[in-house]
Amino acid sequence: MTSVARRATVGARIGFPPWAQNVTGVALLLGLFEAVPQTGLVPAAYLPPLHRVVAALAEEVARPLFWFSLYETLRGWAIGLVIAATAAIAVGILIGTTPFLRTATHSTIEFLRPIPSVALIPLAVLLFGTDLRSKLLLIVYASFWQVLIQVLYGVQDLDPVARDTARSYRFSRWGLVRHVIWPTALPYVMTGLRLASAVALVLAVTSELIIGAPGLGQQIALAQSGGATATLYAYVVVTGLVGIAINTLARWTERRALAWHPSVRGEVAP
Amino acid sequence: MLEVEHLRKVYGGHGRSVEAIRDLTFGIHAGELVCLVGPSGCGKTTLLKCISGLLEPTSGRTLLEGQPVLGPPANMAVVLQEYGRSLFPWMNVAANVDLPLREKRLPKTRRRELVENALAAVGLADAGTAYPWQLSGGMQQRVAIARALAYEPHILLMDEPFAAVDAQTRADLEDLIRRIWADFSMTILFVTHDIDEAVYLGQRVLVLSTSPTVVQEDLAIDLPADRDQLTTRSDTRFTKLRGHVYEQIQQAKTAGSARADA
Amino acid sequence: MNRLTRRLTATVALPTLLVLLWWWASARSTSFYLPPLRRILATFPEVWTGERITTDVLPSLARLGIGYLLAAVLGIGAGVMIGQYRLVRGITEPALEFFRAIPPPVLVPVLMLFFGIGDQMKVIVIAAGAVWPILLNTVEGVRAVDPVMVDTARSYHIGRWSRLRRLTLPAAGPQIFAGLRQAVSIAIILMVISEMFAATEGLGFAIIQFQRTFAIPEMWSGTILLGLLGFSLAMLFRLAEHRVLFWYHGMRAAARDQ
Repeated sequence: MTSVARRATVGARIGFPPWAQNVTGVALLLGLFEAVPQTGLVPAAYLPPLHRVVAALAEEVARPLFWFSLYETLRGWAIGLVIAATAAIAVGILIGTTPFLRTATHSTIEFLRPIPSVALIPLAVLLFGTDLRSKLLLIVYASFWQVLIQVLYGVQDLDPVARDTARSYRFSRWGLVRHVIWPTALPYVMTGLRLASAVALVLAVTSELIIGAPGLGQQIALAQSGGATATLYAYVVVTGLVGIAINTLARWTERRALAWHPSVRGEVAP
Repeated sequence: MLEVEHLRKVYGGHGRSVEAIRDLTFGIHAGELVCLVGPSGCGKTTLLKCISGLLEPTSGRTLLEGQPVLGPPANMAVVLQEYGRSLFPWMNVAANVDLPLREKRLPKTRRRELVENALAAVGLADAGTAYPWQLSGGMQQRVAIARALAYEPHILLMDEPFAAVDAQTRADLEDLIRRIWADFSMTILFVTHDIDEAVYLGQRVLVLSTSPTVVQEDLAIDLPADRDQLTTRSDTRFTKLRGHVYEQIQQAKTAGSARADA
Repeated sequence: MNRLTRRLTATVALPTLLVLLWWWASARSTSFYLPPLRRILATFPEVWTGERITTDVLPSLARLGIGYLLAAVLGIGAGVMIGQYRLVRGITEPALEFFRAIPPPVLVPVLMLFFGIGDQMKVIVIAAGAVWPILLNTVEGVRAVDPVMVDTARSYHIGRWSRLRRLTLPAAGPQIFAGLRQAVSIAIILMVISEMFAATEGLGFAIIQFQRTFAIPEMWSGTILLGLLGFSLAMLFRLAEHRVLFWYHGMRAAARDQ
């Protein structure tokens, strides 16, 4: 046993296992949320107590507009993600397997990728107004890079022995991709999808917030301009929950798809 | 110098308990080079962790210079097997050796002196500014030894330090240990699974049984003090001692499996 | 063609080609929304020099810098504490999972309640969004410090503060820097968003103004400027990372060569 292992069992030893710690944490958080505004530490105008937010949420959930907004956000998220992922995987594999393209496009990719997607907001507004397409422009742009970068890593990681073996068996390029490259790149693709799904949600809600496209973000903007503070918080909570659901789904999918694959340790997504 | 009294360690939890060490009692006098050898899984590393204060025993105790060991004692230095993971890669060799000395709050000139001497003693006088990952495995282990040396401990514990190194390098390092032991009059407790190494190095060899572990035998090595890889290892006395230890360990293994079946 | 020239060519070839393509394709453009590149570039000297630098660009960058620094200090500080103590981690985990899942721009309306639309709000928005990758990566990095190193430090009696400074933080360094890098892009996004949503000056505000007043070439120049900003900061970050984490890159190179 090491010092780390010793520390780890302190909680278990005093009868406070991790799941109980989590529950305590949630209880504390909710308790603070209720108590702090009541004590006047933070004015209730800025932070309504929990029960009022819950009431506002219950009210919203009863309205079809809520579900429509949720649907709109998720729709943009899903379509944008699919487009971005398909394009990024195709482009990534093409570039990754062609050395000439890899060197030629490297600088361009490094230049384009840090460009904040929000820089495209004015353009999106001009071209598409509050249409779904303006949302998609932003979502696809931001998510594309997440997946592309990971795909490029994945293709680069290819075991040269495996590739040479395939070549000596005269695999066609398509065969090479299917049987050798794709399995190697798969964990990276999954990581990219996980990162991209979080980014896509951010851009979806952001574009709704700024541009006014229908969705949760727009409801937030409306609540804010209308001074409906409790409703504002209710929608923020909903957005957070949607985010958690997406993160959980992404991690679950990643685990299932890679159950047979040695896991790739990557960055922790924001 | 070091007294281990009825050390016992039981790993428990979730209903099962594993008695890694049943009863270990032995002593080491100042200036001795004692080797601990035993079959794999006999709890050598557990024992070392208990003696060095990194692990709490279930019962029994360790006394270092008369004081009970309750946490890592101040006058002890440990060299582990995983040299790659015990040196800090963001510091160069000299800084690594220097680090424990800074904690001791020694003046700068004294620290520099100790570091230089230690590195020279292990044959790495010019490697001060290199980084651990630039060095070979054997050299990295030398740095770990230098770090322990510079610390000026009263006793040096070594946990299979040469297990992860190639045979050639191992031979050099074994000789290095004997040299250091002679030059610095150190007390060394050397844990290994390599019987030849234990007999070659030690003045005494403690043979451990399989788990639950006890001291099977305390063997005095009556080889000459001046040892050499070539001649000593082909000495008849060496071969006899080595054979004896090997027998003991084989006995320990069969007794252990008999106990396990019982 | 020697190696350096070849690398240089590879680096500038495609970008130059794309720029030229853009120039040529848009040269005769009569589209209102996609003006000729020539015109866009022509607006640069008049729009982005002189007064606008002090009234819009510098304040934006200042807020970005302060917000990012705040996020770094908070993120690393809290991350170290949470990473070291399992109990703290267990209790704070659900809250962290929740707050990190909230898309950062959503915080703008919320923080506006507390802080109005001034500089304070923008800095806090940037910090509140950028802190998450830093915090989470720091926690991860601190958790993963090699137990062998920790044991070594303990056996040499290296005290708690020294352990933090000389072991925990450097060991978690690579992971912390991964978080810091992600935080740069988030900080830029939030800087722009906070200015697009509610502001009277700033880079984001300027660009949105151009869009609202249909000053299209100027709007495009703003977009390009943002792109350049993102790119330069990414480059600067990479340089800084290479210097601080030289040991990490060296280690990996050595392992690869074996």
